[in-house]
Amino acid sequence: MELLQYSIRKIIAGIPLIIGVTLISFLLMVYFGPDKTFDLLGKNPTAEEIAEVREQLGYNKPFVVRYAEYLRELVTFDFGRSESTGEPVTGLLARTIPVSAALSLPGFILGNLLGVLLGLLAAFYRGGAPDKFIMASAAVGMSISFLIVIIAFQIIFSSSFGLNLFPVRGWSMDTFGDYVRYVTVPTLAMVFVALGYNTRFYRSVIVEEMNRDHVRTARAFGVPPAQLYYKLILKNALIPIITRIMFSIPFVIISGSLLIEQYFGIPGVGKATYDAITTGDQPVLKAVVALTAILLVAAQLLTDILYRAVDPRVSLR
Amino acid sequence: MSTRADQLHALDDVSGHRESLWSKAVYKFRRDRAGMWSLAVVLVYMVVAIGVIFGWWATSWAELEGGKWEAPSADHWFGTNIIGQDIFDRAIYSTRTSFEVGLVVAVLATALGGVLGALAGFFSGSWIDELIIWIMGVLDSIPFILFVAAIAYSLGDTPYAMHIAMIATFWITAGRLIRGEVIKLRGQEYVEAAHAIGVPEVVIIFRHILPNTSHILLVQATITFVAAIKSEVILSFLGIGVKEGMSWGLMIAESTREVLAGFFNNFLAASALLFGLVMAFNMFSDALQDALDPRTVAGE
Amino acid sequence: MSVSRGTPLLRVRDLAVEFATPQGTVRAVDGISFDVHENETVGIVGESGCGKTVTGLAILGLIPSPPGRIAAGSIQFAGRELVGLDEEALRAVRGSDISMIFQEPMTALNPVFTVGSQMTDVLKRHKGLTAEQARREAIDMLGKVGIPAAARRIDEYPHQLSGGMRQRVMIAMALSCGPKLLVADEPSTALDVTTQAQVLELINALQDEFGMAVILITHDLGVVAETCRRAIVMYCGKIVEKAPIEPLFDRPRHPYTHGLLDSIPRIRADKLDRLPTIEGRVPDLLHLPSGCRFADRCARATNECRAAEPDLRRDGDAAFACFHPWEGAA
Repeated sequence: MELLQYSIRKIIAGIPLIIGVTLISFLLMVYFGPDKTFDLLGKNPTAEEIAEVREQLGYNKPFVVRYAEYLRELVTFDFGRSESTGEPVTGLLARTIPVSAALSLPGFILGNLLGVLLGLLAAFYRGGAPDKFIMASAAVGMSISFLIVIIAFQIIFSSSFGLNLFPVRGWSMDTFGDYVRYVTVPTLAMVFVALGYNTRFYRSVIVEEMNRDHVRTARAFGVPPAQLYYKLILKNALIPIITRIMFSIPFVIISGSLLIEQYFGIPGVGKATYDAITTGDQPVLKAVVALTAILLVAAQLLTDILYRAVDPRVSLR
Repeated sequence: MSTRADQLHALDDVSGHRESLWSKAVYKFRRDRAGMWSLAVVLVYMVVAIGVIFGWWATSWAELEGGKWEAPSADHWFGTNIIGQDIFDRAIYSTRTSFEVGLVVAVLATALGGVLGALAGFFSGSWIDELIIWIMGVLDSIPFILFVAAIAYSLGDTPYAMHIAMIATFWITAGRLIRGEVIKLRGQEYVEAAHAIGVPEVVIIFRHILPNTSHILLVQATITFVAAIKSEVILSFLGIGVKEGMSWGLMIAESTREVLAGFFNNFLAASALLFGLVMAFNMFSDALQDALDPRTVAGE
Repeated sequence: MSVSRGTPLLRVRDLAVEFATPQGTVRAVDGISFDVHENETVGIVGESGCGKTVTGLAILGLIPSPPGRIAAGSIQFAGRELVGLDEEALRAVRGSDISMIFQEPMTALNPVFTVGSQMTDVLKRHKGLTAEQARREAIDMLGKVGIPAAARRIDEYPHQLSGGMRQRVMIAMALSCGPKLLVADEPSTALDVTTQAQVLELINALQDEFGMAVILITHDLGVVAETCRRAIVMYCGKIVEKAPIEPLFDRPRHPYTHGLLDSIPRIRADKLDRLPTIEGRVPDLLHLPSGCRFADRCARATNECRAAEPDLRRDGDAAFACFHPWEGAA
């Protein structure tokens, strides 16, 4: 009951964010965006034809009415049809989001797990050779553009100039074998790019926790290092770790993999977004923006609930 | 009993403290070998960029000088691209593009973050603060690439949509940091002293408080610079970045049609120069952070 | 009350602890020697940074390394050398034979685990108890340190307890495995005055019950006077004076001890003047003077004091390191 009340309060508190995000994107993309009138008309349209199309597109309605229309679409989750393919936007999202999730999650999970592990390792050997090596590698990794990694990995793993082990591009989830074949190279690229940032972040979080008084207490009571790191310190470090992971998830699902999907030709929501950008497909763009904002509010709520689970000092007020 | 003279003295004290932070930072930075080396590399890139602006070199980046995909030679150090343009010239020319984007975005985004962050911090708890926090949250929640596209739509055919989009999103980190710092500084003696002797609020914020956050702004500017050149490459590759001239991102976009045919020069040249600049700037930024961190001491 | 003269429980000889800093190596503890006998309470007194906490940590092998290390000396506990012992053997000692409690009751306990989980963990590890036995034992201990409704409180988190309660939990945890020696580092400093007295009384009472020795590390000579039999006064990493409590308070020899005693507030109707303080500042461990480390702040210092460092001289039960000690009563 407490949880339900809290959730409702949190969702209400998230409304200004959703209003802000939709308002800004509506202003930029639709209200001040490109005029579609002449895209829909043939050559030499008559004034009546122009007026008719403008009426259909709602261009002659006042701003407030058009924005309210967007909000109505958001609430009913019916964004109409894609302007370029005619596919219902809801169907398009239902088709592409699972692909993006299947594509991004292995890399996201691995990148964070390995990041925590390397962060622990570096923190454990703080100041020593393993620490210096890990942190120097992280610095190098952080300096290589995602784009370069993707192309280089494609050459190394998928082309005849390299190992030639995986398909160059494309996507299939028909069988588990297919999935593994197509997901491996993108996953490796995502892990490579995320690892530097993650390791650096997790190391600093863990080092901060290592310097706490209660860690000294634990050592004074003979707690062995394995238990110290994997239980006592890690549990205390979970709050910043959860925050980082939870707030990345909406972007990972919706747009984080845009570059990879576009480069490898994977039919996920990132590629759909990219296609919508290049064709100016407003219904799709509006849906993607709104969905990201909604997911972020949900992530915020979920994060707070998780805080409560790991830290007894946090209360759901 | 504190007199006006005492209060003015308090103001002096703070500026003295600020000077010692900077002189200590210079001392620490000069002893940081990795930091000095990275600064040297950044300066070399900068000279290259300035040379391009003044037309000292890489002037013929757009000219067709050779055959398709020529191998590296004395004339064309990195070979030629698919239509026979000199890859070395194009890569060198792109340095200018990167520096322009990096500098413009870093300076303006940090300035914007400084001003809005200081306002939010100084008036924390008021509607000004609420409004700025709301804007930060909103801009943070729009996927970056979509935001760039949206700006490009609304501005039509301007070449600066990318710059504006980056400035509009990259100021947020600086804004949050400065807001926190200003909240901390606001309660300090010298600010209260300034209040007490009737210094106007605008003057307090921009003359007495904001300069005391300059070390944060400087570090944030270097971080923003790196973020901007990395984003430029990806946006240009996707076709929503640089529209005029040449950039490493455009070169890499060009190279994707070549690498699977086994021609790597375009890709390697752009990647290597990009990596060198980003790596050096990252290291420079780290060293700067260490030098300006009052908790660390000079030396190793 | 005379000090027993058997084999000491703890025998520290010429202990030196160094820390590597970017500006050079610093000796936080510089060649100190002292004994602690069974069942006795010894105070280590000094200003912050004098090396008293480092001494306590060194006994448990808890010097953070790097940057710190025990550079020289020996620490024998019940006849066994602790310096150079491997981590695993040291871990077996920590919390079972020798326990330590810390100053900060707010932060010294892990905030995300219950009191019970932290206490039973120690009991299971050192005494090999089952979860159920450990829990019963922990509740028992919490009752002994005066925590009401221990069976319920054991499942609470540290933030649900008051500062005094948390320090009681620390004490219960420290004594749960029946240590022979308790190192208490400013156990009452962070607490309010009434709680301070209660916590010190509790340590004293439990000391008799458990038959353990206590090293009480504090900056407060008043606390030492109330609880200890002997005191060791440290300054800049060195022992400047050690003596049984009564002679130390009646007739301090070292000018530093003298100054510390003068700066204790005393309620006297006839005299409510400003408290005398020791002039000057503690020298920086990186730039120690060549002679006596206290010379710059000492009214009695002569050229001799600035030329050479005085050794610790024995004087009956006591010892002091000064060329020009006080002779008369304080």
